[in-house]
This record gives sequence, structure tokens and C-alpha cells, in this order.
Amino acid sequence: MSHGEAGGHEFPPMRSIKRWFVTTNHKDIGILYTITALFFLVLGGVLAMLMRVQLWSPGASVLSAGAYNQAVSAHGLLMVFWFISPFAFGFANYLVPLQIGADDLAFPRLNAMSYWAYLFSGLLFVASFFQGGTFDGGWTMYAPLNLPTYMPNIGGTTVVLALIMFIAAVTMGSVNFLTTMYRMRAEGLRMRDLPMFSMSILLTVWMMLFAFAALLAALMILAAEHLFGVTYFSAEGGTLLWTHLFWFFGHPEVYIVFFPALGIMAECFQTFTGQRIVGRKWFVLAMVLVALQSFVVWMHHMFLTGINLEIKTLFMVTTIGISLPFDLMVFSLIYTMIKGRIRFTTPFLFSLGALVLFIIGGITGVFLGAVVLDYEFRGTYWVVAHFHYVMVGGATGLFAGIYYWFPKMTGRMYDEYLGKVHFALYFVGFNLLYFPLFVAWETPRRVFDYAPGLTSWHQVASVGGFVLGASFLVMFYNLFVSMATGEEVGDNPWEYSTTAEWAVSSPPPLENFPGEPSYAGGTLSFRDEPELTADGSGDGESAGAASTDGGVQTDGATAGGGTGLVGEPGTATPTAAGTGAVHADEEHADHASFWPFVVCFAGFLAFLGVSGIQSGGAYLGLTAVGGVLSAVGFVGLANESFHVPEPTVAEQWPFGGVENMKLGMWTFLASDVVLFGGFIGSYLFLRVANGWIDWHHEFIPEAHVTFPGLVNTYLLLASSFAVVLSLVAAHRDSSRGVVGALSLTWLLGVGFLINKGLEWQHLFHISTEAFPNGWNVGTNVASSTFYLTTGLHGAHVIVGLIMLVYMIPRAWKGAYLDDDSSIEYFGLYWHFVDIVWLFLFPLFYIL
Amino acid sequence: MARLKLYSAIFVVLMALSTTQAVVERTGLVDFDAPETYWTAFGVVLVLSFVKATFVATYYMHLRWEPRSVTYLFLGGLFVALALTTAAAYSIL
Repeated sequence: MSHGEAGGHEFPPMRSIKRWFVTTNHKDIGILYTITALFFLVLGGVLAMLMRVQLWSPGASVLSAGAYNQAVSAHGLLMVFWFISPFAFGFANYLVPLQIGADDLAFPRLNAMSYWAYLFSGLLFVASFFQGGTFDGGWTMYAPLNLPTYMPNIGGTTVVLALIMFIAAVTMGSVNFLTTMYRMRAEGLRMRDLPMFSMSILLTVWMMLFAFAALLAALMILAAEHLFGVTYFSAEGGTLLWTHLFWFFGHPEVYIVFFPALGIMAECFQTFTGQRIVGRKWFVLAMVLVALQSFVVWMHHMFLTGINLEIKTLFMVTTIGISLPFDLMVFSLIYTMIKGRIRFTTPFLFSLGALVLFIIGGITGVFLGAVVLDYEFRGTYWVVAHFHYVMVGGATGLFAGIYYWFPKMTGRMYDEYLGKVHFALYFVGFNLLYFPLFVAWETPRRVFDYAPGLTSWHQVASVGGFVLGASFLVMFYNLFVSMATGEEVGDNPWEYSTTAEWAVSSPPPLENFPGEPSYAGGTLSFRDEPELTADGSGDGESAGAASTDGGVQTDGATAGGGTGLVGEPGTATPTAAGTGAVHADEEHADHASFWPFVVCFAGFLAFLGVSGIQSGGAYLGLTAVGGVLSAVGFVGLANESFHVPEPTVAEQWPFGGVENMKLGMWTFLASDVVLFGGFIGSYLFLRVANGWIDWHHEFIPEAHVTFPGLVNTYLLLASSFAVVLSLVAAHRDSSRGVVGALSLTWLLGVGFLINKGLEWQHLFHISTEAFPNGWNVGTNVASSTFYLTTGLHGAHVIVGLIMLVYMIPRAWKGAYLDDDSSIEYFGLYWHFVDIVWLFLFPLFYIL
Repeated sequence: MARLKLYSAIFVVLMALSTTQAVVERTGLVDFDAPETYWTAFGVVLVLSFVKATFVATYYMHLRWEPRSVTYLFLGGLFVALALTTAAAYSIL
């Protein structure tokens, strides 16, 4: 059964446009991600070329100063956020379930929603160009340039909202991948044996889960500065606060971008040298170490700010430290080449190119990690050259991926000659473009005027930019033509490939495997258990020769010391059981839902409306339409019958016994901890910056007292207890008890909001000598932190109340008596909201 | 039934600890003009919050009965948030 023709669930064929709006299948979503990311590559690339035209001579006027600033900012934002990582996640979507032996991701509709949120966030960015100009404060969005004072265009606000929507997509994806990879691995596939690409994605999503939450906090605060006039980044210490929040995200982001490329490089090195990665265990440990260290190096981006010398020294040490595990990985890859027999295919050439470029990018980055040198290089083209060698070096690895897996995704081979032409043009263009920037390092960053003596270097760079751009024309032509006329490939066109995707047809069937995948016997096999066989004729097992990436298992142990060739040439291919057996769940699994598209399209309208809501009119209408459509979408999503079977046998360490939904909720909450941590941390930082005690004397009115906070603490604790009571009632099969307890929870939550509303009203309208016009959101930094942080918490309460409105009528019909897991999942959310308040109460009402 | 008694007892403890926090404030221990007293009260109030949060997470969110890895997952998020806050605040001291 081919990918396109698979059906049985009213699932349109691949040729149908409808399919691409309703699909929730991970391979389709992977293709959508890949194509969309390439669109943003072209958009960001065109902006880059405009910049290189402007830089042909010092102070040129092809673009106006404002347009240049917009081009620089939009290029950086689009490439970093909307191209590189989503491009990697096109592969991740397509391949991770295949590599780990899962039929799909744990939450297919969430996966579709993640894609649509990504696409519409990008379109929101595009829309910003038509709203009086897009964001022009640089990709790092430093304060105070990011504030409405310096960026009054609605388009600037739209970009902030687009990034928020993008992070929503990222968070959904992170939760989904983590749940899938921890809960749905084929039998016998231990975490340590994950294929290198899947391992890199696992570590990437961990970093994404926490790093993007910190950026989300920063962006939500920034959006509030634009929309509600709060005072954070314009307050004392505010500019420094932005840099902390941004770079706490920003440095892990470097590895978020690079790790998937590293995984692809490792796969390609293994396949095209016929040699298992030398020191694989240490390679993986080095990646884990980098993922952890990535969260303790962010202040090396802040050496020129007013942070103290002790912390600068500490972060210089941690920064130098993070280069050590990378050294190990680089030497491992080099030694793998030495020990293997290299075949210079296009994917290998791009992988090797990525390694060379990353080595240059890494070495030049060490300069910036040293405080003294950074004083000289910061804000110059040295930084521009360095991070392009790292980030675009990473993208080079991703282009290896598109050639490596093109035969798997399309069933046809690309033109190898054109692939090599692409690589040659790409590699020459890349180095012509970026290396001269090291030489012309004294050029000030983000400025199109420079010393006349540097002109020739900039002209070489501009030529290189156009060569690099032209190389993609070759790639697009090659892939587009090959998709239709390329030589048909079998299951596995690559000798020595070992991962599971090569053991199924190209492209793979809709639900991936002809049976239950298992590595229990040491190699990949597919169990067609008689009871799972539609016609009852299954022979029990069929085997392919793919192995876990950690080596072939024998009696549960990992064999192969990394010294021999992996796999046997051409044997990692058998696919079907040959019995016509189908996975029993196949008849029931759903793959189509229109609601993720509806919800995200509604979100697009709502965000677009909110961006200009202060000007009313059409923007107000857009907000209303988006809001109503969102509600319709979520109701449709909640009421839709959508079956996702879980594997009957799977490796689930270390989360065995924690069902998918529960693990997904806990993972989301871990991310939410960082979001609230960002808000609370911002409050604490600003309070330290403004003087902890002075804060109370200067910024807080006497009318701001403890009592309303205490009452709300009582209300929330009681509501948490009521949720617990509803679970107890469900255990006792008491439908009335469940309804009563959930209704009590709802009433207490509403009481919480009413009490908060009364308190806010009172504070808004106080009139004292110190605060003659009340204590509003924009009165001072203390009022801003108070209203915004407790407001975010209040928004969480409102979301919980909406969930209860859905649950209570269902409870009335006895929905939770047989299965109370929904109450438990809701409880996890509600109790977490309670926990957050337990800290907001003392911080904002007592201390 | 045993669990219900446990949950009820925890609820009483949570309410009592919250009241204690307010009492600390009402009795003037949170004195902004007396640093030593203030920072002692600061510590007491925040420790009480951590104790309450631990009770809610451990029993109401059932962490006690889940695999330990779930606790580590949650603590991972908390550690990240604390690392950001602490290091950022320290950087300007």
C-alpha cells in the first residue's frame, strides 16, 4: 500500500488538495514543514541579497535606511526561526517515528496544529511588511529599540505576536516529540540505542521545551509593552532584562539549530563510510553535555553590558568549557572517515562541508567567548561571519539530509551530478560570502556604511552571496525534476544504512510498518501476531536487517565495538511480511482532521486583529472574528471522534506506566514552569535593579494590602481540594459527586477572578498624593509586574474554567465514571496553577 | 477512604500555612525598615510557600505515586527557571 493511496479512513489521496489541509499523518506533516521552510529560505534569502546589493559600496542608497534595517531584521528572524529549525523538523516529523518504530507521533492532531501554527505565524510575519513596515530592531530585538517609542509601526507588534504564535507551535511540537520518543519506541529499542538523528532530535526538543519558554515570557512582556503600555524594558534595568531573557533562549538556540544537522551528519558519515561512528557512546554523551551546558553560557553575549566581572569570568569559563565536548564530536567524525571507506555522494559532501564550516565557526567563536577579545569584536562583522559559519554551517548539514532522504520521501533518486554541482556552487559561494567578512571584521554590524578600504572585501562577499543563491536554483531544479522523472529506488538505495526507515518501502506506507516493529531479537523484525492479523494468516514474524543504531543487540546486550562495518550491504531492506497481514489497529486509526487548520487560521486572524487593536476599526473586527472562529475550532476539536491507537508493546523507559496524555501534560507543565519563571524572574530582577526595599517605598501604594491575596489563596486551595474530591467521587462511581465537585471547583475559580477584579478595580481608582491617577498597569514598574504576572496567572485560571465548562455537562452524563483520567489530567493543570499562586501570593502581597 | 482523609488533612495544613504567612506579615515581621527582621521573615514566608507547593505536587498531583522520572521532569523546569533568575539577579549585584 503506497503512502498516497493508503486509506480506509476517508483519507484523501496525495493528489487531492484536501488531503494537505486535513492530514495528521507525520509523513505528510513532515513534507509540509519541509516545503514551507524552503519557502521561508527563499524569502529570507531574497532579503539577504538585497542587503548584499546595498553593501556593494559604502553608504549605498539602493534601500532606504529604514528599509535596510527592516531587511536585516526580517532576514535574521525568518532564517533563524522560520527556516532552519522548521526545516530540520520536516525531517524529524517524517523520520523519527520511522526510526523508533512508531506508527505516528503520540498526538497526531497536535502535530498538525503545530504545523499550521508555524505556517500562519510565518504568514503573520509576512503581513507585517504591509502594516507600515515590519520589525526593524535587529533579530536580537534589543531593548529599547524593540519598544513602541522606537517602533511605532503596527508591523513591529505583529512580528512580536508572530513569534509568540511560532513558539506555541514549537511547544506543541516539543511535547509531542518527547511523549512519542519516551513512550512509543519499538520493543527492544533502548534510549541509548536511538539512531543518531533521533537522538539529536530528542536533545533538541528538550532544549526547545525550556529555552523557548523563556523567550515566550520575554515576547509576552514585549507584546504587553506594545499593547497595554506596561513598563518593563523601559524601566531601570529593563534593557539588561531583555538581554538576559533573550540570550537565555538565544544560546541554546544555536544548538537547537545545529543538533539536528549534527544528527544528519552522523547518519551520513556512518552510511557513506560504512563505519559506525567511532566512540558512539562518547559522541552521545558529548551531545548530552552540550545540551546541558547550553543553558549556562548565555551571558557571554553580554560581556559589553554592565554585568559584574565575576559573572563575566564565570561565563567565560563555561563558554570555553562547552567547546570541549564539541571537540570530541569533531574528532569522532574525522576518525570515522579515517576508519571507513568514503563514498563521495552528495549527502556526504554536504555533511563533510558542514563539518568543515562548523570547525571554522567554532574556532572563531572561541575568540568571542574571551572577555577581552569580545570587547574588540562585539558589534562587528566578526560576529556576523562567525555565526553564519555556525548557523548556515548547520543548514549545510540539513541540505545533506534532503539529499539523503529524498529517495525515501519520494521513491525516486535525485540526479547525483546536479547534486554535486549544487554542492560545489554552495560551498564556493558560502566561503566567498562569509570568509571575507572575517577580513572586513571592522565593519560595524547592522550598518550599511563602512570604511572605503573594505569595499573590495564586501564586493567579493556580495558576489559570493549571489553564487550561493544561484546554487539553490540547481537544487530546486534537481529535486523538482527528479520527483517526476528520477530513477525509481527500492526500499534502500544506500549501502550500509542501518536505520529502520530503510527497511520499509519508499515512500513508506501510511502506518509505516507491516506489523509490530521489534528489536527484541537484536535486529528489526515485524511481528504479525495472529490475533492482530486481519485474515488470520500471519506467519508471526518477518525480519529486516536494520539494527538499532547502537549496534546489533544480542541477548539484550549491544554488540559491535564500533570497529567493523555496520550492517551488510543491501540487506536493510525487506519490508512486508508477505502475508497480506495488516496491523489490527490500522482499520481504526484516524489520519484526518480539519480542525487544526481552522484553529490556527482563527489564531492568525485574531493575532492580526490584536496587532492593531488600538486603532480599532477593521482590526477590532478581525480580532472578534478570529476569537469566535477559534472557539468554534476548539469545540470542533474537542467533540471530534479521533482514534489514535497506542502500540501494544513498546519500550517506555523511564516513563512506563505514565500514559501518553499524562506525560504530555507533565511535559507541557514543565515548560509552563519556565514561562512563569520568566515572569517571576523578571519581577525579581527588576526589583533588584531598582533596590529591593526602595521598590516597596517608592512604587507600591498603601492600598495594596495582603488580604485580597490571602482570600484568593484560600479560594484556589479550596478549588484544588474540590478537584481531588471529584476524583474521589469518580472512584466511588458517584456521578452526582463528580458534577458537584467540579461545579464547586468552577465556582471557586470564578470567585477567585471576581475577587481579583474587585481588587484591581480598587487599585485602578485610588487617589493618593503619590498616586493621584490611580495605580494602573503603566503607572510604574511595580504596577506593571504586578498586573502582568497575576494577569498571566488569571488567564490560566480562565483557561481552566473553560475546560470545566466542557467537562461538567459530560460529567452529568456519567462520562468520567469508567475512566477518570480526564479529571486527573485537568487536575494536573489546575493544581499547577494553584502552585504558581502559592508563590505569587508572598511575592506580590507580603514581601 | 484513607486517601480522602489524607487529602483532607493536607488541605487543612495548606490553609493553616497560608494563614501563617499572612500572620507573619500582620505581626510586623515583614518590616521594610529593619533589614534583619525583614530578611528573616522573607525566608520564613518563602519556605512556607515551598512546603505548600511540595504538598500540592506530591499528593494532589500524585507525584508520590508516579515514577520518579516525572518528578525529575518537573524539577528540571523549576531548576531552569531558578538558574535564570538567580544568575540574572546576581549579575547586577
